[in-house]
Amino acid sequence: MLKIDNLKVSLEEEEKQIIKGLSLTINSGEVHAIMGPNGSGKSTLSSVLAGKAGYTVDSGKVNFDETDLFETEVEERAALGIFMAFQYPIEIPGVGNMNFLRTALNSQRKTRGQEELNAADFLKLVREIAKDLEISDEMMRRPVNVGASGGEKKRNEILQMCLLEPRFVILDETDSGLDVDAMKLVSKGVNKFSSSSRSFLVITHYQRLLNYIVPDFVHIMVDGKIVKTGDKNLALHVEETGYKDFL
Amino acid sequence: MNHVNSSDWYNSLRKEFEEKSLSIEKVNRRSEYWRKSNLDILEDFVQDTSQLDLLDLNGTCLYEPDLIINGDILELVGQKSDQVVSIIDVIADEESFAKNYFGRLEEKSQKLIPRPLARDNTLDPKVGYVLSFSDSSEKPLIIHNKTNTSASNLFQRNLMIVDKDVEVTIIETGNNLSVFNTVTEIYLGENAKLNYLDLTGENNIFPKISHKFCDLAEKSSFNHFGLRLNTKATRTEIELHLNGQGINTSVANVSLLNKKSHYSDENVLINHNAYECKSRQVFKSVLENDCTSIVRGKIYVASEAQKTDGYQSSRSLLLNESSKFLCKPELEIYADDVICSHGSTSSSLDRDSLFYLLSRGVHKNKAKEMLITAFISEALDEIEDESIKSALSNYIDIWISSFSDE
Repeated sequence: MLKIDNLKVSLEEEEKQIIKGLSLTINSGEVHAIMGPNGSGKSTLSSVLAGKAGYTVDSGKVNFDETDLFETEVEERAALGIFMAFQYPIEIPGVGNMNFLRTALNSQRKTRGQEELNAADFLKLVREIAKDLEISDEMMRRPVNVGASGGEKKRNEILQMCLLEPRFVILDETDSGLDVDAMKLVSKGVNKFSSSSRSFLVITHYQRLLNYIVPDFVHIMVDGKIVKTGDKNLALHVEETGYKDFL
Repeated sequence: MNHVNSSDWYNSLRKEFEEKSLSIEKVNRRSEYWRKSNLDILEDFVQDTSQLDLLDLNGTCLYEPDLIINGDILELVGQKSDQVVSIIDVIADEESFAKNYFGRLEEKSQKLIPRPLARDNTLDPKVGYVLSFSDSSEKPLIIHNKTNTSASNLFQRNLMIVDKDVEVTIIETGNNLSVFNTVTEIYLGENAKLNYLDLTGENNIFPKISHKFCDLAEKSSFNHFGLRLNTKATRTEIELHLNGQGINTSVANVSLLNKKSHYSDENVLINHNAYECKSRQVFKSVLENDCTSIVRGKIYVASEAQKTDGYQSSRSLLLNESSKFLCKPELEIYADDVICSHGSTSSSLDRDSLFYLLSRGVHKNKAKEMLITAFISEALDEIEDESIKSALSNYIDIWISSFSDE
């Protein structure tokens, strides 16, 4: 599904290379976790995959199915089925959450040549998902993420994921700022959503999230490269000994 | 020389005002109130309306009009004609009740700020109306300005009187290209309320200067909302005199300008003269393509106006580097127990918000449109009537979507 081939990425303004030759293949139905110390380039990787500005791709390729990702606009990537749950979801005063969700869903459907969802069907769908994630009606009526707690914002990200039904999901430090109960709730949402046709890239500092979202592969990223790949036991090892074995 | 068909009271007022006008500072580049303004709008005011295709120039019209100003002719439509008198008839009428009101607020509003164009208007009105409201009405009164190609460069003069406890809403729309300079004097009685929406559309292809001066009695409310949709060049001067306890006012404006070098110039002065009054000013400008928006907003608090609550926010969204937002917030306070604040910002579209919307699949133009709509929403929220707010929001949304598709 996703094939990253010897990717090198710099910051646009500083000309500083952050990702220094990273290769990774993620197949349908797989859950990959990337762990690594601060500054290893994990969040840069997720930003580049989602299409955030401010980075220069020095070399390498990323293909999503047959599509060259770097030839694709941000909104087109979303319509292809790529979704990144933000580490710090953005607050947008003045844009109502429901209006945002409906516009996003129907924009993607339009891009894919599907019929737009009418107001009643949309409302039914979104309410079902919100109920599962224990998101209140009051939160849904607010402007996007405005006045929401850290946990509410992360649940709103998962709600967007469930609504937009992407095939490839990047969870960028979704566990940061979450208490145990919120993490369980978020993980439950992710697990319910996972299927043999969907893949996940879970970026995290800590092993604890991986108790709830169990990875097929764990990669250790240090200084812009993957230095070790293993199964879920690798994450347990890191939890015990830290990253010193890989530096 | 006496005005044609005018009364003695008007002739003597005119003589008195003409003499006093010598002391009013003329429009010039060094004037504090014109320094950043586009003085070309004074050069361009001789308008050739004879070649216009009027069918294309309907202007911003949300509702069917009750009163049409067709160049220099007033046309009354519907049931409300008993409230309306032509200003030309009024200044010809020796016994008109309007003689106690006409010109008084114009004169008063010269005290802190020189308003030479308003004085010119007092000396030579050519068209306009007197509206007096003695009963409340839920239905807004729609005043529609239309161009009459036979008339050009007219001074329009209006007078509005809202009696005690009466609540009315006025929506002024249309596109009177024949009029260059408008003055409206407004008197609100005790506990009266006037909601005034001044909607100027993109067919205003000639410069236009309008003044609104309003006297407010105890517990009255005045809510003014201005919309400038790609107007070529507008200058608005609003001055409110809050003369009794417990008055509430709001002045909001949205300027959306993206046609080459278009221009809006909003000038507001709120005089807090009494105890415990509240005023809000909210300005939002979205600018592209060398457009300029100027906002001068002043809150004046007299020494007896304790417990004043004055708020002013002026913000712009600059969609390209050559657009300009020039803002001069002012506070002049002589009371010691007041809350007054002002804030001004200029920014481009927030990159993080834009990325967030795009990353969820929202198309680029739609995402920009959503952020522009969100940006102006604070000003639209100043409109109390939900149905008018919703109709106007929809109208603006459609306009913005054509704006971002270009």
